[in-house]
Amino acid sequence: MANPLRAEVVRLYKNLLYLGREYPKGGDYFRDRLRLAFSKNKGVQDPEQIRALIARGEFVARELEALYYLRKYRAMKKRYYEDESSHSLNI
Amino acid sequence: MAARVLQQCVRSFARPSLRLCSGNLALRAAAAPVTALHRPLSSVADSRRTRWLDQSRISSVSVLCRHYGDLPPLTLETIKDRVMYVLKLYDKINPEKLQTGSHFMKDLGLDSLDQVEIIMAMEDEFGFEIPDAEAEKLMTPEEIVQYIADKKDVYE
Repeated sequence: MANPLRAEVVRLYKNLLYLGREYPKGGDYFRDRLRLAFSKNKGVQDPEQIRALIARGEFVARELEALYYLRKYRAMKKRYYEDESSHSLNI
Repeated sequence: MAARVLQQCVRSFARPSLRLCSGNLALRAAAAPVTALHRPLSSVADSRRTRWLDQSRISSVSVLCRHYGDLPPLTLETIKDRVMYVLKLYDKINPEKLQTGSHFMKDLGLDSLDQVEIIMAMEDEFGFEIPDAEAEKLMTPEEIVQYIADKKDVYE
């Protein structure tokens, strides 16, 4: 309770949970994995180690964002160019 | 995700009677005595005209009172019902053990991550964000109801 990093961890969990709703394999799948990852490290007491884990979580959040951007880009590309061969014929 | 969509569908089926009719029914009830008064006075030839007048009056009034996107007004009772409904749907809570005063961690055996998920579900349900600092103090359904009532200016 008294740990000053607690709020940080909770914020990270909330953020990741929010990002994970759009996960390709489903929000529930992501939520279960996320919970496993957090509960695996619940005994960690060392502030340095907690900070490192939080940084890892932030990294995962950035990866998720990149994944969604890529997905969006691919969907757009698919809509505008049917496939590569017709694309090269048209231009 | 799918469960949430289904839950919304069920809820919108259960509600429209409240949302659509509450205003109209009240108006009809208010307008009914007027028509009852007019009928005996008007002659047979005039009855069609008066009926048309009455109808137009009713419809114009109901247009003025349209609810647009507004929901039925929140009361402590409806907030409590919605909070309990969301909590019952949460898979780690045993619906039989759930009381308005039960503590999430002590009585229901949840951990702090579950509590974060519950708060997020409440944010979705009521459509506003609950800051982390205040979210971690909300440990019973009762406190959540009180907090939402404060934020939405519901006093009763």
